Amino acid sequence: MTAQLQDRGAPVDPDRRPAVSRRQAWRSRLYRWDLKGSPYLYIFPFFGLFAVFGLFPLVYTAVISTTAWSPRKPGSEDVSVGLDNYGKLLADDNFHNALINTFGIGIVSTVPQLLLALGIAHLLNYKLRGRLFLRMGVLVPYITSVAAVALIFNQIFARDFGLLNWFLQPFVENPIDWRAEKWASWLAVSAMVTWHWTGYNALIYLAAMQTIPYELYESASIDGASRWQQFWHITIPSLRPTIIFTVIVSTIGALQLFAEPFLFDTTRNNNGGPQREFQTVVLYLYQQFWTNGRYGYGAAIAWTLFLVTVVIALVNFLLVRRIRSADD
Amino acid sequence: MRNSGIVATLAGLALALTACGSDAGDDGTTTLTINVFGDNFSLPDNRALYDEYEKAHKGIKIVENRSDFGTHHQNLQARLTAGSGAADIELIEVGQVSGFIGQTDKFVNFKDESVDTTQWTDAIVQRASSADGGTLIGLPTDIGGLAMCYRTDLFAQAGLPTTRDEVSALWPTWEQYVEVGKQFTGTVADVKWFDAGGHVFTGILGNEEETYYNADGDLIVEDNKVVKDAWDLTVDAIKAGQSAALAEFSPEWNTGFQQGQFATITCPAWMMGYIQGNAPDTKGKWDIAKIPGGSGNWGGSYVTVPSQGKNIDASVELAKWLTAPEQNIKLFKSIGNFPSQSSTWSSTEVADFTSEFFSGAPAGTIYPESLENAPSQVVGPQSGVIGNTFAGALNSVEQGTDPNEAWDSAMEDIKAAAGEG
Amino acid sequence: MARRRAPDAGRFGTYAILFAIIVFSIFPLYWSIVVSSRDQSAIGSYPPPLVPGGSLWDNLSAAFEQGNFGLALTNSVIVAGTITVAVVFTSTLAGFAFAKLAFRGRNGLFTAVVATMLVPTQLAIIPLYIMVTQWFGWSNDLRGVIVPALVSAFGVFFMRQYLSSAMPTELLEAGRVDGASTLRIYWNVVLPIARPGAAVLGLLTFITYWNDLFWPLILLNTQNPTVQVAIANTASGIEVDYSLVLAGTVIATFPMLIVFLLLGRQIIGGIMQGAVKG
Repeated sequence: MTAQLQDRGAPVDPDRRPAVSRRQAWRSRLYRWDLKGSPYLYIFPFFGLFAVFGLFPLVYTAVISTTAWSPRKPGSEDVSVGLDNYGKLLADDNFHNALINTFGIGIVSTVPQLLLALGIAHLLNYKLRGRLFLRMGVLVPYITSVAAVALIFNQIFARDFGLLNWFLQPFVENPIDWRAEKWASWLAVSAMVTWHWTGYNALIYLAAMQTIPYELYESASIDGASRWQQFWHITIPSLRPTIIFTVIVSTIGALQLFAEPFLFDTTRNNNGGPQREFQTVVLYLYQQFWTNGRYGYGAAIAWTLFLVTVVIALVNFLLVRRIRSADD
Repeated sequence: MRNSGIVATLAGLALALTACGSDAGDDGTTTLTINVFGDNFSLPDNRALYDEYEKAHKGIKIVENRSDFGTHHQNLQARLTAGSGAADIELIEVGQVSGFIGQTDKFVNFKDESVDTTQWTDAIVQRASSADGGTLIGLPTDIGGLAMCYRTDLFAQAGLPTTRDEVSALWPTWEQYVEVGKQFTGTVADVKWFDAGGHVFTGILGNEEETYYNADGDLIVEDNKVVKDAWDLTVDAIKAGQSAALAEFSPEWNTGFQQGQFATITCPAWMMGYIQGNAPDTKGKWDIAKIPGGSGNWGGSYVTVPSQGKNIDASVELAKWLTAPEQNIKLFKSIGNFPSQSSTWSSTEVADFTSEFFSGAPAGTIYPESLENAPSQVVGPQSGVIGNTFAGALNSVEQGTDPNEAWDSAMEDIKAAAGEG
Repeated sequence: MARRRAPDAGRFGTYAILFAIIVFSIFPLYWSIVVSSRDQSAIGSYPPPLVPGGSLWDNLSAAFEQGNFGLALTNSVIVAGTITVAVVFTSTLAGFAFAKLAFRGRNGLFTAVVATMLVPTQLAIIPLYIMVTQWFGWSNDLRGVIVPALVSAFGVFFMRQYLSSAMPTELLEAGRVDGASTLRIYWNVVLPIARPGAAVLGLLTFITYWNDLFWPLILLNTQNPTVQVAIANTASGIEVDYSLVLAGTVIATFPMLIVFLLLGRQIIGGIMQGAVKG
């Protein structure tokens, strides 16, 4: 700074002009370079590290997916099979099953979770005593690790001496085997996901609700709109962008669901239940890759899932654009 | 801003800790790491064996890492593939060892380490050897000879005989075992005949030489009559309501022992330790009879030394010591893992051993008998995966899946896994 | 926002429902304390126990000892702390560039950032493992957990959104007129403005990596675990004592609860702020 100030204050000496202009030229070049070049410098740490630890392994995985590599067969990493792994995958019933489970669990966990979050946000938006306490209360699950959640829920959902089956005793004839029945296992896995994320989403909705001008509600209630009508006609439409955002984030999260079903399968053979009742795509990938040592096939599952994710994200994106333009 | 200050302080502290925590002092001691799963070589609070070795070998320090069965074997594979990160000594379970046989270059060959392989039966050595027999990747620790553990108190309630000779006489064959199960079922409320169909299946196949693969290494599981027969018999028993349907090594299975949810269990020697540790309150209620069919093997492990290690010689020495008869006998007496060297079976220490926990059962003679009759089983690269697939398929039958459907989907899975594995 | 009036809570019902929801939120944690305060027979007893027993402290110290939790907690602080600082730094830098600086390819590159959020970490784990252990030699080494996580696409996205709205472009222009370099503007103008957003990002990052399990489980072992690896391993022995397993989860969750109690206001404010800006 000091150099600059001196510079600016110095009287212009005609004799030194060429020197000054050379210096000015240098400085302006520096300035231009700063203007044009420095942004790249700032984003470089991100892209540099991402290229090394994100992009490169992804490309490498694509290469692996065209081989028959299994570490159990020496030399198999050099056996190229072209796109055979992808062909096999499309015909693989277990992969279809995993896709269905992924979407099923995705819906069973996302829909109630977001509805609940909306409801909780609505309640939290009232003028309440102990606001901070209430908000912290609903957020406690968010700070609990998935590993801890799963270990705790494994006990709650145990078939024979589980807490939940004890509560259900009066209502069901036989204890429910939460790992061996499709719907039961979907519910159990979804319960973990829902428990973990509802409070977080509720706070996001709450934040958006607080930006809705109170006058809207006031005039509506003067017009005789009930609380429910107000919620439906004012709150929900105003929250639309936020709801879309949470839907997108939850959808992508649901497609990549892994930790909960992985830990819920207490046999640790990554089958996701005796008949793959809750084996998600990523868990199937993990099983083929790690447990069965099929690196080539596992890599093909990885890339297929990646492509599915991209397609769904694009569809989401286009839908959002459409909704936005319809709004305008 | 207050909280960013806190975060920055934490991180500064973190960096300082990384800086000073990374290198241990180099005072001439060699640290040997050993990765295990389950109960091998020590109970959680007991490293007597390691202490003994350290005392006799100045300058050696042994550090053990224990993780669960699946994670252990998966991580080992990853570390072999990557060429670094494996421990100096890695344990491999017998069902998994076939998956590593193809990777002989990644392990020390014990054939070159002047190991007397005649102390084990051919079958045991063969399982951890390359097809040509030129490479031995692991030294056997224990061996899972089969017996049948049963609850005397529950047998009494059901009006069945309770002494081990009488009980052994009830089931010379597995068919008869299932028949007795039919008598038992329904006599004691909330108690089933056995823990899981998968273990009956394993037990039945324990009497066969060729199950999933033939001696030429071909996958024969689909057309192998003995496998289908074993499946059908197990399905019969399940349909007759004999199974408690507890997935092995799950929390439910563990509580099953504590709560006495089943009266019998296919019982390799190491299961004795499992039951004692898991359900200490059932002491004196168990006894051990002969296994139907008279023989079988389930479990047991090998000690391997990955060639990527930096202390190969010291590790080989430790591996030999850990698998020597003296140590195996000690382990047998403390946690039930049965020594793999047949020479030890006639030693008085083993032969005269009776288990107080199991009502004084002469474990030291029951297991050798079962092992002497056991056929030398053929295994292939995906034997472990196939076994798991069957266990899962039978578990699904227990949940009500149609047995034919379960069989078909198991075959699909097996062919897919074995096709490349 | 501060002047906005909230509608009054009409009824006692609102409190009742919220209270029930909070009970639901807290119950699993409460129950883990119940189980870890009893011996392992509690797991198999019907009806299940619903009030704590007397051996909480014994089980906590037994689990602490067995699970190597002293080292595990230290490691988790190192891992989560270092990653947090790095992510906040790299994200603020890149977020500033994307939000306020004009450069060729900006939109395309930002789309690339968003797209990288679609790449799940489990997908590329073998190549990543080979790189980290074989090339860098970081097996069983905290650096292997830390370095791949030093940047975050979410972080860049978050800071870009935050700075777009929080920092008036006039400030940047004013700085330019004064002849200040971009770096100087970043340091003197952007960072102070970014601080609240950066603090939020830091807290979220810290929570995420404190709770991360899969990569550490593959890379580390029980001799050098993070907290999550340690609790996953308490459940892996042959005789699994569930009072000790759940005591482990109590130990692992406790530090986060403390942080939460101390900084709850900021965390909540942060999540809500991020939501509106984002």
